[in-house]
Amino acid sequence: MGETEIEKVSDTTFVLQMGPHHPATHGVLKLLCEFEGERVINIKPDVGYLHRGVEKLSESKTYPGAMTLTDRLDYISSMTNNIGYCLAVERLMGIEPPPRAKFIRTMVSEMTRLSSHLLWLATHALDIGAMTVFLYAFREREQILQFFEKICGARLTVSYPRIGGVRVDIKEHVLDEIYKFMDLMLIRVDEYETLLTENRIWIARTRGVGVIAPEDAVLLGLTGPALRGSGVYYDIRKQIPYDAYSEIDFEVPLGEKGDTYDRYLCRIREMRQSVLIVKQCIEKMPEGKILSDKSPDIDLPHQAKRKIEPGDSLWNGFIAFSEEKQEIMPKGEIYSAIEAPKGELGFYIVSDGSGRPYRMRVRAPSFIHISAIPKLCEGHLLADVIAIIGTLDIVMGEADR
Amino acid sequence: MNNLLKKILFIDLIKGLLITFKTIFTTPVTIRYPKQKRPLEDGFRGRHAFVRDPETGKERCVACTKCAQVCPSQCIYIDYSINPETGARVLTKYEIDALRCIFCGYCEEACPVNAIVLTEYFEYASYTREENYFNRDRLLNNWDEFIGQYERKEYLNKFWYLPGIGRGRLSVGKRQPNPIIRREESQ
Repeated sequence: MGETEIEKVSDTTFVLQMGPHHPATHGVLKLLCEFEGERVINIKPDVGYLHRGVEKLSESKTYPGAMTLTDRLDYISSMTNNIGYCLAVERLMGIEPPPRAKFIRTMVSEMTRLSSHLLWLATHALDIGAMTVFLYAFREREQILQFFEKICGARLTVSYPRIGGVRVDIKEHVLDEIYKFMDLMLIRVDEYETLLTENRIWIARTRGVGVIAPEDAVLLGLTGPALRGSGVYYDIRKQIPYDAYSEIDFEVPLGEKGDTYDRYLCRIREMRQSVLIVKQCIEKMPEGKILSDKSPDIDLPHQAKRKIEPGDSLWNGFIAFSEEKQEIMPKGEIYSAIEAPKGELGFYIVSDGSGRPYRMRVRAPSFIHISAIPKLCEGHLLADVIAIIGTLDIVMGEADR
Repeated sequence: MNNLLKKILFIDLIKGLLITFKTIFTTPVTIRYPKQKRPLEDGFRGRHAFVRDPETGKERCVACTKCAQVCPSQCIYIDYSINPETGARVLTKYEIDALRCIFCGYCEEACPVNAIVLTEYFEYASYTREENYFNRDRLLNNWDEFIGQYERKEYLNKFWYLPGIGRGRLSVGKRQPNPIIRREESQ
């Protein structure tokens, strides 16, 4: 039996291939579903359609260069991917960004959380049948992306942070505009809630769908809002505070029953908290440097340079390889995780002292959430499978890497 | 009881419909793209160009090959020779494969003399690959095209001047860069 086949339980069941080009699978996810009537008996996810070899590729790039690859993991929240990677390298090197850079990073990662949750809300609602929310959520997401363009010059593939800080400073008038927009955002979140939270169709489609007990959620490795929807208090922003999160007051919203509706409420409340965090960041933002003095240069060589004198045969070449290896980066390995909009995003980096990562491994929340689909779909109808894929907030660029 | 009444009277649905009804009277947020255009933000990373120095009328590049070294997608190809009299590097080939570029902006940040920029020009789709393979003359041409339609008088790229970063670690050209002042078209 090949990878793409499923073992049938009995002759009366029927196997349906959903995806990889189904619009509701949020990318190129293929699900092999076995049905009895309209009830799901078994589901087998098949991933790998968007594999680009990011982990292997980053072994051939220098540390600053490999950061641009992390943009393309979870392409709707690239800012948090960059920050997660930079934080891992910073912890490996033992440097700390200056306070202003920390607050800027916290602010942009919460803006990313807003834009990611808005896209999730839009597509999840569209899958279930609420078209209007899709249009409204994209209206606000567009504005957040325009702020990213103002900050760093790109909308999606931002490459904004840098190891040891951020690349460019944010101007005061942009901060004021963001502050004003956040006031508007609170009103908009209320609007989305009016459209959905009490809506009887929405409740009928989400209540009791994809219920997962807290113990099972922990065992399956769910993180982020998918875990907090079951009522487990786990948020890396609180447990292992990074950047400026330790200086900011915010709550971690929790669900009760662990169904699709609770996860929806969790994310909506998280959006409100994000707005408050962004506002606090702007209020508390100190003046000063944006890049640590110890941070590596952007043109970090991948191997140590030998001292070259004029007249040397290597004088023409830019990079000369030394016979005895000098260390550019400290040797060692590190695992560092941040709270990305989807869940715990971890980077495991092994360094052998050269300017390139010896090995990089990404703990992608989407990949682990996909493994929970069979458990969540047990005994549900075909239509609920769509709701469950939506509620897990999967991005295939991150799952396949 | 209250809940039942709400259910019978369709309160939840009517509340939602009121919001959609209100939205009818707001101005549309969409624009009619090819005719109307959104103003681009300062520092947008678009098509590549070589800055034409207003003093010399040539490019500023000194062939240090830093941009080729930092480029994560390795899409910059440089060749140079050395002037035997002065010992200075002379640029002989500079090519950018824009189809491979990922527009991270590392090249303009690493450039010590502010020679290469990503301009705010983004409509350069073409039918052939050759059109997006920029050599030195095309890069200078790109700059003329861009600065010709630029509306403000002074041009200072966001990555030329980096406040908040220690002056000591920036190259001399980045510490106090001069903005490029557009000449009046009345000439």
